[in-house]
Amino acid sequence: MAQWQEVQSLANTYLEQVHQLYAGSALPMAVRQCLAAWIEDQNWRQAEEPLSSHAPMLFHSLLVLLGERLGSLGSGYEDFMLKHNLRKAHRDLQAEFAKKPEKFANLVANLLQEERRILRLGQAGGQGGSTPAPSPAPESGREQQIQRRLSEFHTALQEADRAFRHLEDLQDAFDFCYKVHYQPERERSRDPEYRQELQALQAKLQNLDRQRREVLAQMQQLLGRSETLQELLREELGDWRLRQQRLCLGGPGDTNLRPLETWFTQLGQGLFQLRQLLRALSDLRQKVTYERDPLVAEMPLLEQRLQEQLTHLLESAFVVEQQPSTPNPGKRPLVLRTASKFSTRARLLVRLHDRNHRMEAKIHIDRDPPSIKGFRRFNILTSSSKTLLAGDSPQEGLVCDFQYLTLKEQKDSRAGKGGVTSWQGPLAVTEELHLITFTLAYAYCGLELELETTTLPFVIISNNNQFSSAWASILWFNMLSSDPKAQQFFSSPPPAPWPRLAEVLSWQFQSVAERGLSRENLLMLAEKLLGSKPPPDSSVAWPKFSKDGAAGFSFWAWLDGILGLLQEHLKQLWKDGLILGFVSHKQEKKLLKSRLTGTFLLRFSESVLGGVTFTWVEHHEKGSPSFHAVDPYTASELVSLALPDIIRDYQMMMEENIPENPLKYLYPNTPRDEAFGPYYSQRQEGNLNESKKYLNRRLIRVSSRQPSKWQTEEELVVATENLETLQLQPGGQGTQQSGGLALPQPQSLGTPQVPPGNVGTPQGVATSPGILQVPPGNVGTPQGVASRLGIAQVTLPVTPGNLGTPQVVAMSPGTLQVTPGNLGTPQVVATSPGTLQVTPGNLGTPQVVAMSPGTLQVTPGNLGTPQVVATRPGTLQPTGLGTFQPQPQRLGTPQVGSGVPNLQGTVQVAPGAVQVLPGGVGMLQVGSGGLGSLQLLQGEQGTAAVDTGTLQPVPGAAQPPQLPEEQGTLPPELRDLELLPGSQDMQELLQALEGPDLGSGTLGTLELAELMPNMETFEENFQLSPGSAALLDHHDPFLPQSEELPLPAAPSLFSSTDFPPLHIDASDFQ
Amino acid sequence: AEAVGLYNLGQSCCLNSLLQVFLMNIRFTRILRRITVPPSPAQRRSNVPYQMLLLLEKMQYGKCKAVGPRELACCLSEHRVKLFVQHDAAQLFLTLWNLLKKQMKKPELVEELSDLYTICIQEHLACQKCSFEIKSNSTMLTLPLPVLDANSHRLKTLEDCLQYFFHPEELTGLNMCFCQQCGRKTTFLQSMKLVHLPRTLTLHLKRFCFERSSHTHKLSHSLPFPQELDFREVLKENQCQADDSEKATWKYELFAVVAHSGSTSCGHYCAYIRSLTEGKWYCFNDSEVCQVSWDDVKCTYGHSNLHWRETAYLLFYMKKHPW
Repeated sequence: MAQWQEVQSLANTYLEQVHQLYAGSALPMAVRQCLAAWIEDQNWRQAEEPLSSHAPMLFHSLLVLLGERLGSLGSGYEDFMLKHNLRKAHRDLQAEFAKKPEKFANLVANLLQEERRILRLGQAGGQGGSTPAPSPAPESGREQQIQRRLSEFHTALQEADRAFRHLEDLQDAFDFCYKVHYQPERERSRDPEYRQELQALQAKLQNLDRQRREVLAQMQQLLGRSETLQELLREELGDWRLRQQRLCLGGPGDTNLRPLETWFTQLGQGLFQLRQLLRALSDLRQKVTYERDPLVAEMPLLEQRLQEQLTHLLESAFVVEQQPSTPNPGKRPLVLRTASKFSTRARLLVRLHDRNHRMEAKIHIDRDPPSIKGFRRFNILTSSSKTLLAGDSPQEGLVCDFQYLTLKEQKDSRAGKGGVTSWQGPLAVTEELHLITFTLAYAYCGLELELETTTLPFVIISNNNQFSSAWASILWFNMLSSDPKAQQFFSSPPPAPWPRLAEVLSWQFQSVAERGLSRENLLMLAEKLLGSKPPPDSSVAWPKFSKDGAAGFSFWAWLDGILGLLQEHLKQLWKDGLILGFVSHKQEKKLLKSRLTGTFLLRFSESVLGGVTFTWVEHHEKGSPSFHAVDPYTASELVSLALPDIIRDYQMMMEENIPENPLKYLYPNTPRDEAFGPYYSQRQEGNLNESKKYLNRRLIRVSSRQPSKWQTEEELVVATENLETLQLQPGGQGTQQSGGLALPQPQSLGTPQVPPGNVGTPQGVATSPGILQVPPGNVGTPQGVASRLGIAQVTLPVTPGNLGTPQVVAMSPGTLQVTPGNLGTPQVVATSPGTLQVTPGNLGTPQVVAMSPGTLQVTPGNLGTPQVVATRPGTLQPTGLGTFQPQPQRLGTPQVGSGVPNLQGTVQVAPGAVQVLPGGVGMLQVGSGGLGSLQLLQGEQGTAAVDTGTLQPVPGAAQPPQLPEEQGTLPPELRDLELLPGSQDMQELLQALEGPDLGSGTLGTLELAELMPNMETFEENFQLSPGSAALLDHHDPFLPQSEELPLPAAPSLFSSTDFPPLHIDASDFQ
Repeated sequence: AEAVGLYNLGQSCCLNSLLQVFLMNIRFTRILRRITVPPSPAQRRSNVPYQMLLLLEKMQYGKCKAVGPRELACCLSEHRVKLFVQHDAAQLFLTLWNLLKKQMKKPELVEELSDLYTICIQEHLACQKCSFEIKSNSTMLTLPLPVLDANSHRLKTLEDCLQYFFHPEELTGLNMCFCQQCGRKTTFLQSMKLVHLPRTLTLHLKRFCFERSSHTHKLSHSLPFPQELDFREVLKENQCQADDSEKATWKYELFAVVAHSGSTSCGHYCAYIRSLTEGKWYCFNDSEVCQVSWDDVKCTYGHSNLHWRETAYLLFYMKKHPW
């Protein structure tokens, strides 16, 4: 807004000051008003110099304009007074200033300056007045400051430009006079007229010199202010980087680059404009130069300063806008998989480019690979260079967008790492950090720079099962590394302070299911990692977080399993806070103890990867309350039955055989249906893939309670809706059956065997998790329910039914097994996780279905040939834990701080330039001597010249060259081995086992062989896979069966084993 | 009053910056205004305090954006302060101050001027073999602070520099001194103790480094300085030789920064000064003056990768309370 307009909009108190200012002024306000724009546009300061030709010119222009204005005024009444005032002003001004126009210039300059001062006061005061407590948020404060400074910078730039144009005028005038009047060859030194001319010329040069100095001072000031501006932008960009990093980790934050882009571009524009101005100045110097020309002395400095600033601005303006990422459900960037596509994008925040110049951007992976032995090298398969076409859509900015990139490992790149001999590589694949560097050949307005920027480190995996631990590495790095390019980070990863880790872990939950971890959750996790009552400044070591875990899985693997479960099945419940989640047993007891019988809470299993369970309390007439926890549900069950429905239909077999749902109130006291009602599905589970021809039925959860022993057992029962009675058969019988393992544990898990069954034995078989197979039972057929106890398989309470067609359903979490019997063929299916189960059959057509979570082995037998194979999850995981990895010895390459580019600053006057030199008699000179006091030039010349000519290159910072510290040989560390190629993780295994071929292969063909596991076979089983990720490993610290839950009943089964009681104590967590 | 600029007369940015620092210091101008005017025109022309006073008047009542310090510059050139030469600000500051002190005729003004600017230090030299000790008091106008330690490592902050400056040094080997008592050259411990601090304290950051050759280069790395400085927190007990009432006055606030941009052979000075009346910061670039903020002043901390930037060279701290 024009100054005068702004003045008029001031508050009254400040307007009063303006009126006072003009009250005693020789320039009436009427004139100021009617020529406002023109007056503000002139450079009055320059005109105020004595003997300046500028002042009379301005003064006369003003009078002419005033006259014109008078003429244009109408004869209306309003104009009458104005006309009068202006005419009077015209007269007065002429009378007062015609002979001393420079005085008038001085007057106007001072008035304008005073106006600006009042304006500043008024605007500052106005802000203070309108908002009584002006305490803007710090970040918005900085934003405002940047914006204010930018506009000030541009205003100052305009002023400098105006001053420069004035300088041009002065120089042209001088140049002309000089050519006309200065004739040293003529002997006119005694001619008084000539002397006068010379004196005038001298004055003009003096004036020119002053103007040059003033423009230079303005430039210095501009550069100083832009340094501050750049510093503020640098801080803002630093904050943005932190936000981006946080966002990568799932944290909150806004990573919009638009404001930064606008600011950087504006500052860049300003600096390029300044650069133009400097060039134009140097052109002026080419035309006229003289002794002690300030342009000669100061231009090199200004050029260097500006060049350095521009370079710095552009270098910092090149940023990675989108870190390398590949689409994945968890929205986790920075984990890439070979052969799958990923994308990444860089942006130049200074949106200035030359349309005629094509800029090329390139990407390189691991341009300076760290010297880590076995460090894998990759090639980018797709094109790694791109022409930056900025002209297409200007609002999109200067973007290097690389999409559909793929990586391929170089042959022999993992010398000493690859293959089966995984002993030498110092870093696991998931700890190997890679970088992509963008380079951009930038050119604009004659400035050419090679810009570069680097992504955050990412991990390259070759198999999805590495994803989780790769993400752990990304979390750890971004949480702790101070150097964003430290590829050697995992050579000695620092521990994470717990508060920082807690925050990042909470983000994981926030980003997956929109609800972070509560204080109580974090407390439980802290105790799990650090022992009870950890000091607030505790920190967690990397192996502790990602590797160790007596249970066979690390803390992170456990947590990530839960995250996976949440993501797939429990998002809404978690988001709405229905899952208490992380509660220790002790805490759980404390919470439930004082609640009504039937109060339950949901928490994550500590013993099962990705399991959720509920615990409820039951009070007795006397004695302490008892607590019951159901065996954890995992994704494999929840995929067929949602947790709210499980809760709704969960049933407990009472002694009287009346099923009853013990879950009554969600902790603390919300009635079950009120809490979970909104999540119940319509009672039509049958529509999975079954057709309507079957009877309606639904799936309910039942646990049986053994008399006098408070142990819950839980099984799935398939009941047809029209079933009249449910019978619970006393258990126990099945366990008496003996039988060895008919089949040895299959050596390779990848090949489940499903021999075709015989014809003629119609059977329904429920197969893999996720597929619900329910054969219709006969009406009136009793059903056997095989139940299971806790962890250890104890009883198989199955008895043949009375009516010739007993049915058995045996279930265990994650599996659903239904085998309809027919024709007097008793059937049993008993399962439990990790254990074998058997169905003894009668009458020649025994049937078996053995199920256990994670694995499925079914071998239908022939008549009379009992067959069962049951496997356990994870038993054959061929992973070896704990390999020795020698730390490589490394000699860092010395890095030497680079020096400043060598600057050759010898400024030379171009040939043909007009030089004003003391050419003999008349001495033209510039300097401190006033007019007329001529100074000897020669005397000063030597010293003056010292600073003009050459710029010395400045060596780099005085910092001594820094050698990266040599790394000593570290003691060999135990490290995880990457999974061997060919080995499959659980997921894949499951998928393989769940394949439709199995389902169809077994359907209707399952024959039974009978087998009953005994404990010896169990043990054999365990021994088959030493060091495996056995879920039942008795060292598992995450097992829930601590002191709270008594050991299962039927100790007889365990009596002969050396299976120690499962026990948990705090020391296990260390 | 608005701050007024000073025209550059040719390489006079250094002089201009220092003049601004002097003239914006109301404690100095209070003294300056009380000088006696020399009787003859010739004496007036060559009297530095008088010319400075004239300049101050011109700045304050000229209602101009900037004035030219022509007469003062001429006056200085009579005293061998050359014109059109790029000076070192610390050096020129000392020269100016000495001229002022020499030419202020009234003894009480001289004393006040000394009080305002001079630092008292006690130097100790103690023989490490016997108990022989030499103590001497000396006054300094600036504390010349190294920005690198003996091993050429960067000192991190201004406080570190001060610490290092007052750190005792053992003189061994070639540096050994002759001990009168021992009758031979012995190892001495040289230390400096702070005795008195003036109301306007001048610190000189030795931001240059001599290489093996005669070539000097500038050290542009970052060296933060605080807005408020309390010497009692910076120096240890054994680095002071002052009583508690003296030490109680050792609380300072930053008043001005003379910053240098460019290299040792080609540079420019400007001054950041906090107006003592309004409390606002101004930046003086010769004839250009503009109001700035602490953010701008902070920018003169320096930056290792930006060698041409403005970096603080002289720091002027003002005592918080007018003791």
